[in-house]
Amino acid sequence: MTILEERPQFAFEAHEASLMEIVPGPRPHGIVKFVTSTDHKQIGLNYLFTGLAGFLVAGLMALVMRTQLIVPNNHFVTENVYNEMFTIHGTLMLFVFAGPFAFAGFGNYLVPLMIGAPDMAFPRFNNLSYWLYLGGFSLLLAGFLTNNGAAQFGWFGYAPLTEAIHSPGPGADLWIVGIGLTGFSGIFTAVNIITTVFTLRAPGMVMFRMPIFVWNILVTMFLILLAFPVLTAAMALLWIDRHLGGNFYNANKGGQPILWQNLFWFFGHPEVYIIALPYFGVATEILATMSRKPVFGYKGMIAATLSIGALAMGVWAHHMYTTGAVLLPFFAAMSLLIAVPTGIKFFNWIGTMWRGTIVLNTAMLFCLGFLAMFLFGGITGVILAQPVLDFQLHNTYFVVAHFHYVLIGAVMAGFGGLYYWLPKMTGRKLSEKWGKLGFALLFIGFNLTFFPQHDLGLRGMPRRIETYNAGMGWNFLNELSSIGAYITAIGVLVNAWNIFTSWRHGEIAGDNPWDGQTLEWACSSPPPDHNFEALPPIRSERPVWDANHPDMLTKVGH
Amino acid sequence: MCCSAMHQLTGLLATNFGSPSGVTTQDHYTRELWRLSGYFSVPIGLIVLGLITFAIVRYRHRPGEDRKPAQFQYHIPIEATYTIIPLVIVAVIFGFMYNAENHVDKVSAKPAVAITVDGFQWGWRFVYPNGHVQIGTADYNNINNNNDLPVLVLPSNETVQLHVVSLDVVHTFYVKEFLFNRDLIPGINNTFDINVTKPGLYPGQCNNICGEYHAYMRFLVDVMTPTQYAAWYANQPACSITTAGVPGIQKGSCAAINAGADFTGYTQAPKG
Amino acid sequence: MKVESRTVLGAFTFLTVLAIVYWVLVALHGSSTERSGITMLVFSFSAYALLGTYLLAQYLRRHGIPRPEDRFDATQEDGAGVIDYFPATSIWPVGMGLGMVFGACALVWGLWYLAIGAVLFFGAVFGWVTESDYTEDVLPGSDPDELAASHGDFASSSAHGDH
Ligand code: HEM
Ligand SMILES: [Cu+2]
Ligand SMILES: [Cu+2]
Repeated sequence: MTILEERPQFAFEAHEASLMEIVPGPRPHGIVKFVTSTDHKQIGLNYLFTGLAGFLVAGLMALVMRTQLIVPNNHFVTENVYNEMFTIHGTLMLFVFAGPFAFAGFGNYLVPLMIGAPDMAFPRFNNLSYWLYLGGFSLLLAGFLTNNGAAQFGWFGYAPLTEAIHSPGPGADLWIVGIGLTGFSGIFTAVNIITTVFTLRAPGMVMFRMPIFVWNILVTMFLILLAFPVLTAAMALLWIDRHLGGNFYNANKGGQPILWQNLFWFFGHPEVYIIALPYFGVATEILATMSRKPVFGYKGMIAATLSIGALAMGVWAHHMYTTGAVLLPFFAAMSLLIAVPTGIKFFNWIGTMWRGTIVLNTAMLFCLGFLAMFLFGGITGVILAQPVLDFQLHNTYFVVAHFHYVLIGAVMAGFGGLYYWLPKMTGRKLSEKWGKLGFALLFIGFNLTFFPQHDLGLRGMPRRIETYNAGMGWNFLNELSSIGAYITAIGVLVNAWNIFTSWRHGEIAGDNPWDGQTLEWACSSPPPDHNFEALPPIRSERPVWDANHPDMLTKVGH
Repeated sequence: MCCSAMHQLTGLLATNFGSPSGVTTQDHYTRELWRLSGYFSVPIGLIVLGLITFAIVRYRHRPGEDRKPAQFQYHIPIEATYTIIPLVIVAVIFGFMYNAENHVDKVSAKPAVAITVDGFQWGWRFVYPNGHVQIGTADYNNINNNNDLPVLVLPSNETVQLHVVSLDVVHTFYVKEFLFNRDLIPGINNTFDINVTKPGLYPGQCNNICGEYHAYMRFLVDVMTPTQYAAWYANQPACSITTAGVPGIQKGSCAAINAGADFTGYTQAPKG
Repeated sequence: MKVESRTVLGAFTFLTVLAIVYWVLVALHGSSTERSGITMLVFSFSAYALLGTYLLAQYLRRHGIPRPEDRFDATQEDGAGVIDYFPATSIWPVGMGLGMVFGACALVWGLWYLAIGAVLFFGAVFGWVTESDYTEDVLPGSDPDELAASHGDFASSSAHGDH
């Protein structure tokens, strides 16, 4: 069943209902397909749904934490369980859900489709990446089954708390290797996608005609290539410390605990953009399609993505302002500078909507939710980028609120992406009614959970505390926040239900349900094996739109 | 003082955008930066949200309407504007920040009082120049119990230098009213100055995850007027120990105190 | 390949400048313990130098003849022909993945996991490598030399002259 893929040779018929299907040879189904398929679409779906599973598990942990914090001096869970909860919640959300969901899930499924390629450059490697990712996920969870429980030192595991004397037992080791495996998975995916984008584009799909989503994924992949190896190295040193008596992070024996912080954040800050950039891409695609316009400032958008990617390598120590051991002005200047390209993106998004005909469906609503929440998270980010203000707010709930606004902004775009692309992947649309309800619940729930936390931080509540004194003025805000978390949980369930039922019973989507612009809308829904039987001529960033609307081509110049 | 009164007069502009007021001389710089950030970010946030709202209301597709979407893509002057203006804004913010940072981070060569703050799992030890030690851990069974927290006693209106040291893992010295955090990292020497202008009792807490009872790693800062402080200090024999929750002052040996990290007797029993 | 190599070499240039600025500033004001940042920056720009130079070489090797995907006016016919070999299914990646997961378990629970891991891993490597022999199975009668020639032929409109 191996085939050499031929370039499609058919002339593209813009209004042809469905393209002809050629399937060379039998194809496996069910579990065999899940295990052995090297099709980027199958692997993309695997990532998307494993990522969602990670989101649900980590979300459950969030509910446990919010229940613990709903009143002061509470004893719903013990200190150690609480510490396990935020550690694994954070780790799963970042390494299993938010990151891979976008760059490996949407990335795998969409990049080959968007550039007119039949598959990824290394399909079997791609399949391997998924198993490493799943293995990492499983080992992270396995920590809960061990004697001393899962890791309890927070997602950035500062040494020397992570050393064997302070964190004995396999939980911490499982955290090390679990993250290590997802890291390898990420590196392999990065190699794969970069090669695909550089060598498998369709004729005429020059770099400056690729959708913004593809550009953002590409930059993300380069960040992964630089960041993840550093993390793996840091983890290896930690493992040597724990098992072979190394003293890399042991100050008593000449090591440097701060070395861990430098290594970790050299990975950790790019990781933040590894998570965010793909969602910027998702939002850009949805905004352009739903406004029925080309992306405003397309080249400026690419330049902004590239500069974010570049600057992201030089800001790592803004997480270490309060250590007293970093060059404050350098890192402050770099961090403030990153706000500029991010701002450019916002104005480009607004420009994309300007004078369009905006369709306010669920995908677009999620996208607007992303804009609102990310805007707020970005503004608090500029505040935290200033060392003097970070001295006040470091590690308080203000920070928790800041990064949840940023990350949940990204998650909003991710949900938007599901509403936008699942019709392509399954052939069926999601219910708009349930979708809008799900969006409303999530938007209200998220904001109710995290807005009060800014004030909690200003009132001095540290993050990662299992319980708090009743007299600090934190009680009411914590109550609000926990209620918000429950509303969020209902919103997640509504969206999950919608995906579940629409998969079988949703309205048939057709090949191009949103009047899309990019190449993925040129093939059937779901796309056939090796994707395309025919490609439209590629003469701009939006070949499908050009073919369907010859009367509404992009105006050249300004 | 004069400046804060002036800000009161200018009404809205005096807002701290929700930030609490601190009780140190550094507070001034932090709050000025807050205001500056607020002056920029509130309008920018509102403008962006406003533009988005305007766009989705004005350009929404209404059923039955056959308006065609405009198909423009570039507008160099506008794009240049929203590149340059943010650059200028962050440059201005950076300038003010740089200035504030130099003041906040200044370490005096001749502080009035110098105290060593040691953090350990899960308590604090404050060592005074004469060897007097205030030490203790909180009540792990009841976070509402404020009676036996270790106490850091400081004079007001004097430059106090704190030398923060970790005896095991990373901790962070954090007092909300000081608007200030500083990490205690093994292998790193950290020293900072504060000058508290308002006497009072302020809660402090470790602000970096340090293990099981991190949430309980609290302390109190008791800021006295300089005369009260002098009287208090005169009453603390050299190399004596005050243990949180234990009445009276115990005698200690200077050698033992200098040698360091034996906390038996000063810590609360873990939960049973 | 022009845009590709320029993008990567641009990143290389930026990181080099960044590394120099950081190094100078640390030397002037920084703490003596901070040597990790400069090390990581040097490795970062070196990585980009490696990839960027490779891409540049690929570009130069074509003597200015662009690939169809680099031409603004290319049509689908320009890219006609074999693209590449794409296996449809394979059992070997999951074997290799399991091998690596067992290897990870060895780091947690002890070396004997490594034995299982190694068997799985090297077994899968063997299966994987032997599976790749596509010229015989897939294109009956196709001559490996011919294929190789078409891969290296820039003037023809083959889509993949350089990978
Ligand atoms: C669904 C709603 C969510 C709720 C109610 C929630 C709640 C929480 C809570 C209670 C904490 C611990 C705070 C503390 O004790 O310091 C936390 C930490 C964290 N959350 Fe969430 N969270 C949610 C969603 C997310 C998402 C979507 C992400 C990422 C994509 C995320 C990433 C994190 C991270 C990285 C941490 C820090 C963990 C650490 O301190 O080591 N959370 N969250
Ligand atoms: Cu960062
Ligand atoms: Cu602590």
